[in-house]
Amino acid sequence: MSQTWQRDVPVFNVPIWTRPFKLFCGLGALGLLLVVYREIVGLGPASGMNDAYAWGIWKTFNTMVLTGLGSGAFAIGIAAWLFRREKLHVVMRTAILTSFLAYAFGLAMLGVDVGRPWNFYWFFFPWHWNLHSPLLEVAVCMTVYASLPLFLENIPAVLEYFYDQRKDLRPTIEKLEKVIVKGFPWVVSLAYVLPAMHQSSLGALMLLGGTRVSPLWQTPFLPLLYVWAAAFLGFAFVTATLLFSGVIWNRPLDLDVLAELNSITTWLIGVWLVFRLVDLTVRGQIVAAFHADLNAFLFWLEIAFLVYAVWILRDAGSRRSPRAMFYGAALATIGGMLYRFDPTTTAFQPKPGAIYFPSVIELLISIGFMSIGIAIFIFAAKVLAILPAPSALWHTMEEYKSRQARVRPFGYKTGAGQYATGD
Amino acid sequence: MAITRRDLLHKMTTGGAAVAAGGAVSTVALAGIAHAEEEGKLPPQAVGMLYDATRCIGCKTCVVACTQANGLTPDTRRDPLHQAPADLNNRTKTIIKLYKPVDGKEEFSYVKQQCMHCIDPACAAACMFGGLKKDVKTGIVSWNGKLCVGCRYCEIACPYNVPKFRWEGFNPEIVKCEFCKDRLAKGLEPACTAVCPKKAVIFGPRQQLLDEAKRRIADNPGKYYQERVFGEHEAGGTQVLYLSHVPFDKIGLPTLGDESIPHKYLKWQKRLYSYLIVPVGLYAALVGTIRKNWKSHEEHMQHEEKTTGLRAQL
Repeated sequence: MSQTWQRDVPVFNVPIWTRPFKLFCGLGALGLLLVVYREIVGLGPASGMNDAYAWGIWKTFNTMVLTGLGSGAFAIGIAAWLFRREKLHVVMRTAILTSFLAYAFGLAMLGVDVGRPWNFYWFFFPWHWNLHSPLLEVAVCMTVYASLPLFLENIPAVLEYFYDQRKDLRPTIEKLEKVIVKGFPWVVSLAYVLPAMHQSSLGALMLLGGTRVSPLWQTPFLPLLYVWAAAFLGFAFVTATLLFSGVIWNRPLDLDVLAELNSITTWLIGVWLVFRLVDLTVRGQIVAAFHADLNAFLFWLEIAFLVYAVWILRDAGSRRSPRAMFYGAALATIGGMLYRFDPTTTAFQPKPGAIYFPSVIELLISIGFMSIGIAIFIFAAKVLAILPAPSALWHTMEEYKSRQARVRPFGYKTGAGQYATGD
Repeated sequence: MAITRRDLLHKMTTGGAAVAAGGAVSTVALAGIAHAEEEGKLPPQAVGMLYDATRCIGCKTCVVACTQANGLTPDTRRDPLHQAPADLNNRTKTIIKLYKPVDGKEEFSYVKQQCMHCIDPACAAACMFGGLKKDVKTGIVSWNGKLCVGCRYCEIACPYNVPKFRWEGFNPEIVKCEFCKDRLAKGLEPACTAVCPKKAVIFGPRQQLLDEAKRRIADNPGKYYQERVFGEHEAGGTQVLYLSHVPFDKIGLPTLGDESIPHKYLKWQKRLYSYLIVPVGLYAALVGTIRKNWKSHEEHMQHEEKTTGLRAQL
């Protein structure tokens, strides 16, 4: 059943303290505990990293890949605000929250990964910046992005919660909202320039790896391909999140909005694939794709995921099948993640014979940080208006009385219990 | 730099966030330009080392002398009786390796490895706050623990796999050859060149050593591989030079081309960010467009509020 998403509504009819939520919290706590261990014993005993593979999954996966998934606020925001896809505004809060969590924990992992984090205070002395270092560009730009535009974009949903919960705060909140509304165009513009900068710089990171990165990935266009991959990853991941949340919390789906998200995703992937293959051919490195080795296998795996995703998504659009839409979005996400992960690890050969495999502690910390992100998302979706729904659901929620009384009625009535129905 | 630190601080305290951001941006832009002018040029008093693989007898005296001069703990982790590291590591700033083909050919060669002190070093280009920096006078690339955040990007960037990380402990360090700069300050030469019994590795101004290397090639036709000096042009040139009778790639010296790594791989990055013109221009264009779109969206939201009776959501 397709319904129209009109506004964001909290998930109000389920308890917060569920079993999966406890599991994510537990994994998160374990991860944080292991971070303490890592800080005491050092990186060597805690991780599988070595002098050849000096970067492990904390940087290459949690920072470099997962912030790609967190590019929904950037990519969908550009579609909504710049290209005026009005339909997409309703999913912006989902995009903004997932992006914020991906960035916040990507940055936190960067902090865990570096050996001398106390020296980060040079961040506040710009004349010490080496602006030509792609990693500095990433660290500075991501920190500014996550703590200013992305953080501010998340504020309205929180203000809305307090508006409904605390009548005494309403005048203050209305004043604050006016300020936010005034500054909003300036903030969202910054929210598109900064990710364009650091998502491309993430690609530039491996440029300095030079010929030690397989020619299937190493290209002068790596920054462009990375930022473009971030765009379709953002779309695909938000689509998958919307569909998954819709299924587990039994929320109505708006297949028109989802189909629009999917069609933009397919176009983004299509253009990206053509560019990638043309670049490989022009550089004459396409032959490396026909060697019988791991790199060639992973290259074709990545291409296969993305081509299959495009095929499924186009089909899902015409059949209007949410299940196919979810599979397509998930496949696109995996394909894009592979692309962003491979040049940092499997396709990076710093020294013959060198190997890297993450240690158990390394994996648990990585999983722990992701779990905290997921736990916060679950919590936020139940307390704040994050996930899109028809307006009717908002009215249902207002009449809903939870035994735990954790979620209280939101919104306000115009007249004496009279709602305009919208359409 | 046109804007001094004092100016910047003044602006930060008095002018509010916007001015501070502007000040920071222009300072960075200026710093970036100053940096771009300096790079890729041989420093005036560039020191150097010349290693001649045909003279080396593999005695490893240099390895031991390096450990002593730099106050390192001898690396006996592989073999408790001998200082026998497998590669450069956090206790080994220089190492002697042996190339010996298994197919029974006669030729073999020793090779000494340590930091090449590139003229345009990739490690320093990668370094976030200048923890690794090339000295403007001597050209020595050295590490400063006060500026290093321990990100290990230098290890990813160095084409010779030189910088090494101390993986144990809460207070790790980057370890690499720093040309015994403390000894140089005392008027001594680096420990490895001082002790070499065969003068296989010698110390001197880079230009002088390059002339010496070319003289050796001219005096001994056919002796040296390709009759050329490794490091004269490789990846923009290095201050440590190599002569060898076996192919350079056999003794771990990669084929890199003449363009320096930072210039080759980061030139577009630098152009895009120079003066921050592109990002600022992009921002201005976006603000213009989004403010226009914002107005129609606001009208749309007000209309929604009127028809549904629910507060609009941003």
